[in-house]
Amino acid sequence: MFAAAVVWFALMGTSSPTTQADFVEVPGGEFRSTVRSDAGDGPRTVTGFAMSRRPVTVREYERFVREQPQWRRDRVPSLVADRAYLAHWHSADAAGSDVDPDAPVTQVSWFAADAYCNSIDARLPDWAEWEYVAAADATRRDARGDSSWRARLFDDGTPRAVDARVDSPANAYGVRGLHGTAWEWVGDYASLLGNADKRGSNDGDRLQFCGASGLSFANSDDYAVLKRVALLSAMEPRSTLGNLGFRCVRSSP
Amino acid sequence: MLQGFLLSLSLLLAATATAGPALPGDSVYNLPASMTDQSGRVLAWQDLRGKPVVVSMFYTNCHLMCPLIIASGKALQKQLPQDQQSALDFAVVSIDPARDTPAALAEVSQQHRLDNARWHLLRPEARDVRTLASALGVRYRAQPDGSFNHTSVLILLDRDGRIVARSEVDGLQPDPAFVSTVREHLAAPN
Repeated sequence: MFAAAVVWFALMGTSSPTTQADFVEVPGGEFRSTVRSDAGDGPRTVTGFAMSRRPVTVREYERFVREQPQWRRDRVPSLVADRAYLAHWHSADAAGSDVDPDAPVTQVSWFAADAYCNSIDARLPDWAEWEYVAAADATRRDARGDSSWRARLFDDGTPRAVDARVDSPANAYGVRGLHGTAWEWVGDYASLLGNADKRGSNDGDRLQFCGASGLSFANSDDYAVLKRVALLSAMEPRSTLGNLGFRCVRSSP
Repeated sequence: MLQGFLLSLSLLLAATATAGPALPGDSVYNLPASMTDQSGRVLAWQDLRGKPVVVSMFYTNCHLMCPLIIASGKALQKQLPQDQQSALDFAVVSIDPARDTPAALAEVSQQHRLDNARWHLLRPEARDVRTLASALGVRYRAQPDGSFNHTSVLILLDRDGRIVARSEVDGLQPDPAFVSTVREHLAAPN
């Protein structure tokens, strides 16, 4: 009886299409990132947080644009979104029938993704959080030691991606789509790499940054991760891509 | 009743006067953000509109680059002709609002003998720091020891908040090319 009530409440929390994506608790842990930080390339502690089970969908983003019309493509200032922002939508506040409402929303800028997450009292994940959860496959929390799985991640951001199919299994944390047809923004994407113009010049780095230098890669075997970081680092916060979406997280209280 | 009506009418007119014409789409003032300055005054980011501003981001616990940011801003101010000095404001936005209280900012202002009429040391809301940094093209990253890596730049904004020029800070003196750009911008009729 008690168990049935729990299940019923759980369903109530997730079944309505108008509620926001539900979040799954991700326990914290030690993690060795593929991207080296100033603190070195040893394991770092990731604090527990809650992550959306799937990327933000077209339907959810439509609702956001209707509630906050300053984010319509015909009203958004060019400071925060380029010309391709939602350009494939049928109209300024509706994606139209050519776009799957349950697909990840794409052609959204970092500013837009940031504002969306704020609107649901959430935030964009930091890279460390994103990478931590994305290291999992369906059964293992850290599948990165498996070279065949790692090799499949080359297809991230394409229709051949591991999580491209709607019925692809959730990963060991219960999160879907991290290796899907769309890449995902992270909150701190702009500081993932030091300024490319200054690389190779220690003096330049030291002067440009107050403190230590920028970041570099700890494990250059993780080509798929390097590719993702390189792609994100090349973006401007107002830029959009046809295969770049996002999801939100919440810090644990 | 009539008094109340007149009052609200004048408030409305005042608001309209402040808002002025629509912001250009590429203005950094398109971001809504509330801030507190070194004297504890709460203002909107958009309140800087109306005058050219040299803007930068820093944090007060920084001992290497951040004093240079302020020093090179002051040196820039000195290199302007007298009449231009009053036509340019300086805004330094904190990336560490948790520690950069108005009192901490006031201390920096005193240490550097800043002219509080020209210089705005600003503490934004924590949630707005990254958005402001993104709009200004400033990269920063919190370090485990509580310090920050961040790009140190002086950015010239026109009176409507469009970025005119930017210059990396690499010493006590501003880049002469940047100084010329600021002079020309202030001299140009607008």
